[in-house]
Amino acid sequence: MDFILQLVTDPVAFYQTHTLLIAEIGINSILASSMFVVLYSGQLSLAAPGFMAIGAYTSVLMGNYWNTPFALNLLVGILLAGVVGVVVGLPVLRLRGVFLAIATIGFIEALSLGVILNVPITGEGLGLKNPDADPLGGINIVLASLAVIVFLLWRLTQGRLGHAWDAIRQDELAALSQGIPVARYKMIAFVLSAMLAGYAGGLESHLNFFVDPTEYGVARTVQVLTFAVLGGSGNVLGPVVGALFLTTLPEIVRVPNFDYRDVIAGAILILVIIFRPQGIVGRGGLAIIRPRWWPKSRSSASAPG
Amino acid sequence: MLLRLDDLRRHFGGVHAVDGVSLEVEKGSIHGLIGPNGAGKTTLVNVVTGYVRTQGGTAWLENDKLTGRPPHRIAALGVARTFQNIRLFGDLTALENVMIGMHTRLHDDTLAQLATLPIFRRDERSVVNDAHKLMETVGLDPSEAGRRPAGQLPYGDQRRLEIARALALRPRLLILDEPAAGMNPSEKQGIRELIERLNADGLTILLIDHDMRLVMGVCQRVSVLNFGRKIADGVPQEVSTDTVVIDAYLGSGAEKEAARAPGTTELRDLERARPALRRAAEPEEAILDVQDVWVSYGAINAVRGVSLRVAEGEVVALIGANGAGKSTILNALSGLVPIASGTAIFDGLDLINAKPSSIVRRGLVQVPEGREILGRQTVLENLELATWTRRDRAAAAKEIEAMMGRFPILGQRRGLRANTLSGGERQLLAIARGLLAKPRLLLLDEPSLGLAPQMVDEVFAAIDEIHRGGTTILLVEQNALRALEIADRAYVLETGQIQLTGSGQDLLHNPAVRMAYLGG
Repeated sequence: MDFILQLVTDPVAFYQTHTLLIAEIGINSILASSMFVVLYSGQLSLAAPGFMAIGAYTSVLMGNYWNTPFALNLLVGILLAGVVGVVVGLPVLRLRGVFLAIATIGFIEALSLGVILNVPITGEGLGLKNPDADPLGGINIVLASLAVIVFLLWRLTQGRLGHAWDAIRQDELAALSQGIPVARYKMIAFVLSAMLAGYAGGLESHLNFFVDPTEYGVARTVQVLTFAVLGGSGNVLGPVVGALFLTTLPEIVRVPNFDYRDVIAGAILILVIIFRPQGIVGRGGLAIIRPRWWPKSRSSASAPG
Repeated sequence: MLLRLDDLRRHFGGVHAVDGVSLEVEKGSIHGLIGPNGAGKTTLVNVVTGYVRTQGGTAWLENDKLTGRPPHRIAALGVARTFQNIRLFGDLTALENVMIGMHTRLHDDTLAQLATLPIFRRDERSVVNDAHKLMETVGLDPSEAGRRPAGQLPYGDQRRLEIARALALRPRLLILDEPAAGMNPSEKQGIRELIERLNADGLTILLIDHDMRLVMGVCQRVSVLNFGRKIADGVPQEVSTDTVVIDAYLGSGAEKEAARAPGTTELRDLERARPALRRAAEPEEAILDVQDVWVSYGAINAVRGVSLRVAEGEVVALIGANGAGKSTILNALSGLVPIASGTAIFDGLDLINAKPSSIVRRGLVQVPEGREILGRQTVLENLELATWTRRDRAAAAKEIEAMMGRFPILGQRRGLRANTLSGGERQLLAIARGLLAKPRLLLLDEPSLGLAPQMVDEVFAAIDEIHRGGTTILLVEQNALRALEIADRAYVLETGQIQLTGSGQDLLHNPAVRMAYLGG
């Protein structure tokens, strides 16, 4: 409870003590917005950590070997993630639903087992040192760019492309019947999502002096997917709220001499999913949905109908 | 000619869904496409609109070749369609649905959107105006219905909205796939007026529907498909009196019938025949007694006040055109869909409040239309599952052997996976499985659906034999003449209501039955 208390009473001290947590929230929110783009266009792609790894390794390696400026490294990382996105997307985007999910997990595994752990330049699983990291400067970039990304994605969903994604997510066949080039638009979303993940990876590497190869595995994918499911994927704010909620939840329930905070966090997660199946930010305002199997309360049971 | 199909072909495995269809749709006309269930109508539409790739032949829209193009290109060329099972974007508002239909006409505004430029606003306003007009065209109120999520609109409005969305493409050809399915007569009239109004504005329409009154009334030309081939083509009067068409609709045996009472029966005669029918005596003692039952799916009343009785030992047939509500009645009796009102008693059990499992235990067993056998299990395993709850395994095994003896073809195939069986063999397996539940009343839903003629003979022979074995049967069939041949009594269903009832032999020779199928 100290956590919330401090946030309200003394925000400056809060920022100073929780800088790393805030940076983590920012990175996770960018990742969540990357997830949002694919989900919004109806694709259950779990490839984000793979593209993240590409962004991170590209940016750190360029810095280490060529001493190029961080901005350039980041840009190259994003572009490379985009290119790999096209190459992976061409065969994989023919798949739908859970098959796409499995194929993208395959991509993550192939990348981490086949490339990161095997190629000498990446440190072969021992990780990479990143002497150029700038945690305090990086956090400003993270927060500023998060705001810009969320705004741009929101604008995108309001336009022709966003409406087409909306249509594709709801019914691909019907979208085709309206002349929407479904395959191309799905590819655009997939590549955009890859570039956002690459950007998040590059930024994250800039916050740490060490790149840890185990960060980019399936566990991360599950985490990112949970952000989107919990926050709701019908609105760009949903996944961001999900990331904020899930990243801070373990801190909120942190009580001294109490070791079950992960259990409490998990229980809260389950409750949210039961009562807000459309996500925290979903249609219907903040109303709580009663699941069918949940017994009616006395007042509503006695009401007619 | 606006649309020209030349020898289109498409098969799925061994099934020739579209088998060399050529047909022409004149510009500015309403062209009907009819045919019994499984005739290949929807597959033909899917081939023309690019959803299913053709395996031969070409389709032209004026000078544009359609075949070989992806569906979104064909849509952009001006072929708009609606779907048999409505496919709206359910979470979007009705207005947004129509606006998505304008996708191909709008400029790419992505950059303007990202920069939040006002240029876009003007474009948006005109889009909204257009969408309003289209909704008004199909008879929807844009300020009321337009704001609601499409999935929450009443059923009839959803059909209209789908047409508005299709019109948003500004199509040269509009393909309507069963636009009036599930509608009540006044809604159907509304759709008919809409189709005529759109056509009067110069739109060419290809109309697929089971409602013959609608198709024959509104179309200038009609083409008939059966088993993937075009069997007739012409003006409505020619087609509706064509003996080949009548045969396709009423099932084999129609030729004899046509010879006795030629298919050229005038509509006036049909009308006269209707009141002359005497009601066949319903049994006093009934094992199944249904009174004034209503069943609805959301806003559609699929079954409207149906009463019927079945006595022990009878074979009773329930016949009528597609969408008349036959299968719904069976599903309601089995407890699979809820009965809205009325009473239904089976052997003292109130079917309205009983669970499906207790209905089966009482002895009312349904063999479903889809057959629903377990494809990956062997024939033997499928039958064993039907006796799963029995304690006495040895007796159950003996019964299964007896069943294999009764249907020798199943005995020969006992070790094969069920999905390797032919359609008719699957039907026999489903019937055998139903019999193992020791039914007192067996409900058979479309046992001959999609079967080749000789298989139909075999299945009906099996049904006849089961009946002689003492099982009571309620049979739902599209193949009316075959069903009437073996039925003691029959009910003719039309849009959820019983229009006629009588003994099987009476109805077999009654021209009004033909009217229930082919309209008038």
